[in-house]
Amino acid sequence: MSRAMLHRRFVLRQLTRSGKQAGVLVLCVLLSVVTLVALNGFRESVNRSVLGDARRLHAGDVIIHAHYPFSEPVTAAVADLEEAGRAEAARVYAFYSVVRSATEEESLLADVKVVGPGYPFYGQVELASGRPFRAVLTPGNVAVEQTLLDRLGMEIGDRLRVGDATLTIRDVVVQEPDRPVDFLSFGPRVFVDMADLESLDLLQRGSRVRYYILLKAAPGQTPEALAETIRSVALEGQERVETYRTARSRVKRFFDNFLFFLALIAIFTLLLAGIGIRSALDAFLKEKEKTIAMMKAVGATSSFVTRNYLAVTAVFGLVGTLLGLVLGILIQYGLPRLFGGLLPPQIQLVISWQAILEGLLLGGIVVALFAFLPLYRLRDVKPTVVFRLETASVPHRGLPFYLTALTILLFFTGMVLWQLEDMKIGAWFVLGMVGLILLTALIAQLILFGLGRIRIRSLALRQALRGLFRPGNATRAVVVTLSAAIAVVFSIYLIEENLDAAFVRSYPPDAPNLFLIDIQPDQVAGVSETLGQTPQYYPVIRSRLISINGETIDREQERKRRGDNLARPFNLTYRDYLLDDEAMLAGETLYRDDIEGLQVSVLDDVVEIREMEIGDRLTFRVQGVPVTATVSSLRSRTRESIKPFFYFVFPEDSIIRNAPQTIFTALKVDREKVGELQRAVVSEFPNISVIDVTQAIATMADIVRRLSVVIRFFTAFSIAAGVLIIVSSVLATRFARIQEAVYFRIVGAKSRFVLAVAALEHLLIGLVSAGIALGISQIGSWIVSWRVFEISYLPLPWASLVMVLGTVGLVVLVGLAASVPVLKQKPVKFLREQGE
Amino acid sequence: MTVLRADRLTRTYTVEDREITVLEDVSLEAEPGEFLVIEGASGSGKTTLLTLLSGLDRPTSGRVFIGDTDISGLDEDALAPFRNETCGFVFQAFHLVPSLSALENIMFPAELKGDADAPDKASRLMERVGLQHRKDHFPHQLSGGEKQRVALCRALINDPQIVFADEPTGNLDSENSDAILRLLTDLRREKGATLVMVTHSPEIAEMADRTVTLRDGRVVTP
Repeated sequence: MSRAMLHRRFVLRQLTRSGKQAGVLVLCVLLSVVTLVALNGFRESVNRSVLGDARRLHAGDVIIHAHYPFSEPVTAAVADLEEAGRAEAARVYAFYSVVRSATEEESLLADVKVVGPGYPFYGQVELASGRPFRAVLTPGNVAVEQTLLDRLGMEIGDRLRVGDATLTIRDVVVQEPDRPVDFLSFGPRVFVDMADLESLDLLQRGSRVRYYILLKAAPGQTPEALAETIRSVALEGQERVETYRTARSRVKRFFDNFLFFLALIAIFTLLLAGIGIRSALDAFLKEKEKTIAMMKAVGATSSFVTRNYLAVTAVFGLVGTLLGLVLGILIQYGLPRLFGGLLPPQIQLVISWQAILEGLLLGGIVVALFAFLPLYRLRDVKPTVVFRLETASVPHRGLPFYLTALTILLFFTGMVLWQLEDMKIGAWFVLGMVGLILLTALIAQLILFGLGRIRIRSLALRQALRGLFRPGNATRAVVVTLSAAIAVVFSIYLIEENLDAAFVRSYPPDAPNLFLIDIQPDQVAGVSETLGQTPQYYPVIRSRLISINGETIDREQERKRRGDNLARPFNLTYRDYLLDDEAMLAGETLYRDDIEGLQVSVLDDVVEIREMEIGDRLTFRVQGVPVTATVSSLRSRTRESIKPFFYFVFPEDSIIRNAPQTIFTALKVDREKVGELQRAVVSEFPNISVIDVTQAIATMADIVRRLSVVIRFFTAFSIAAGVLIIVSSVLATRFARIQEAVYFRIVGAKSRFVLAVAALEHLLIGLVSAGIALGISQIGSWIVSWRVFEISYLPLPWASLVMVLGTVGLVVLVGLAASVPVLKQKPVKFLREQGE
Repeated sequence: MTVLRADRLTRTYTVEDREITVLEDVSLEAEPGEFLVIEGASGSGKTTLLTLLSGLDRPTSGRVFIGDTDISGLDEDALAPFRNETCGFVFQAFHLVPSLSALENIMFPAELKGDADAPDKASRLMERVGLQHRKDHFPHQLSGGEKQRVALCRALINDPQIVFADEPTGNLDSENSDAILRLLTDLRREKGATLVMVTHSPEIAEMADRTVTLRDGRVVTP
């Protein structure tokens, strides 16, 4: 027997006669691969059909981008390239503007894109009529998104006022190549032909316009060479020149970040499912202990036993992995529905063979890692177990335990780095995850230690408490897994609700709800007249930060930051006073007498990106002109109020005042008057954009809500891992539970008592898990709200109560469902079996 | 007056399609304070008879009376409190709850019926069997003899009318066996309880007031 590699019939018998433990084991393996397979497959689908063709995503080979009209050298260089036949160029202007129906009855903030001949060089703008884009977008005509028609109550053929021009709506835009999804925009798209640009009269000095020149390389020309030609004459820090290979798309960045976040959750689930695999396999092998002892008694060697159970485990692992792959693919197909409108409707989902292969490999590795210890411990099963009635062998933690733990830690670190492709965040994530689990384990240990020493009068409660410390009970594993999973899920909920409360629901009633941007200095008096009031006006000068203390800002490096960065354009302003919601952080006044030359007061948000102090020299580029100022003070502001704020503020009588600028104002208007005022301002001053902030916030809130659904869906898998561990823990202690129930009954306990003990035991597990989860999530969310978002924190006691009750209810329900068949065992049957 | 009466007990089991009769037409009685031994070879049906007499199992036919109560007609939830107040059990394999300490195991039946003196009673019994220093020890920390003494105390804590013992010395060495038997008989005498013991030891049978011998599920000596 021992000489054979495998005893096929034995393995087959173990497979076919394995009980519920095997089911739990398979489910845990399934759970460990399902989320990553679904996510990786989905990521590939998104990459292929939404972001896949980078040329299409940018509509050209080379993209030149600026927030100001292009400089003379760039314009000349592009003309030279065109003339030499090295490239074709297409100009694009993009900006927000309020568009109106020709009768001026309805108005709406729209995302206007004025495109020149050639656009798009790659991909196609798809129209509802199916006609070619260029045949429709001719002078005097526009193509708009369906939302615009719906919201303005207009139809194709109607006339639309854009700026000073009145244009005819000719078609509906279904899809544009360089904007595969539209939820990142605050208004519906309006395509305008370049020939109409002047008649719009919207390009005022300092207006918020995004200027683009797209180049298409002629045959034989490389995008890199063309880009280099332009880059050599472009204004550093003002005109960005990228090829389609290096340019970063906003959409791509969004999906990268979001899928990155989901990958974190998937890895977390993988870890919990791994703990489940170990727990379930322990339970499975525990039940086989007598069989194993008998095999050894009749001459099987430890390695023979281990080999055969390894084969059994491998089959379960393979079944779980395959089921996980199938479910993962099915989930992937359900994800677009879950994303509800955040993806283009025509997204093509692909079955990613790479994701499948990775899933298979992942399943194999996870099973191997987490199954190692239970299988290794089969060596310790002694043939004498055959003669013993009680099986209370509690394995000790030796070198193999610590080596396995270390290997698992290394594997997860590798997994995280591979999935996240970001060394720093990956390291933080691993530290955070290990920290969370260690913290949970420590608190669980302390609570269980304390509980074990409490003297309780209630008999049932005392028995339940004792049950927690039953040999072989996975109480700590259950508590740690559940607490960690629920802490993560509930923290996400708490932070989301706090953000919602701070920025959406509790939008201060007196806070401004209407923002007027791009007001020209000579329009201020007219605007006040139209508004019937003189609100506070804020001058805005667009600029870029070039250097700090002479050290040039590394734009490439800055753009890699996930948060705010110093490479983006900044709005400067000038004034000599603090705003109501501002406070001095360093320095007593905004500006100082002891500093020569131009001074600038800096908001603390900037300091969080890069350390700065009074006396530092900052150089900005304003419309191509370098301007250097000395930091005179640091300011802070209340993040909860929605008021205009500026990172950099200059003195009123400084040279900044003479820079090209626009003006904006924010005012509080009754909801019902918003439309009327919007139309009045825009009809008088078409270049001014009037933004209804409450509408914008509602749009954002809706997106956030939809994203939370996706997040909750994925975090639910980690809870499922916790549930499976409860089941496997009950099954692992099946013998002890039956034994207790039978002994209780023999000495006179009723079924109700036995059931009450089981329910109370799970109630205690649920309460401890929920309590730990509540503590960790409340403290964690408070720290995140306070430190990261800088908003006041709401602990949400009702939601907390619901979470605690939900957790306790779930644990009791699952625990009892798994326990009831065990507890129903008749005493005499058990006694007879023990006597045999 | 009898404290225990079995009237024509038969117990059959169905294994797959086969019916196996392990006990057939067994009748017996026990008087208050009597030490009754049920003896017989392995497989003769001794333990099955004990489980029927104690209400742990129900006969296929026949009836069991403890005092005036016909326990064969009671359901499990009615039997449990009845057992708690009337019967005590000692098993060969001790059957102590592993998660409870020695003291907790002993006082458990008394606590079940809401006896506020359970801890004191349990302590006194432990002292009586010389285990006061093992009160807080768990079953896995006790020797076989100690476990059986704890089981004995548990059986007696509610002052039962009848103590059922199934091969109580079967897992013990001779020294511990003697000690347990001595304690069992002494305590039975002190408490005035009836002792019904299953054994195949002729030495123990000799100590009994009366012996019932079973062979192939039938009583051969009444």
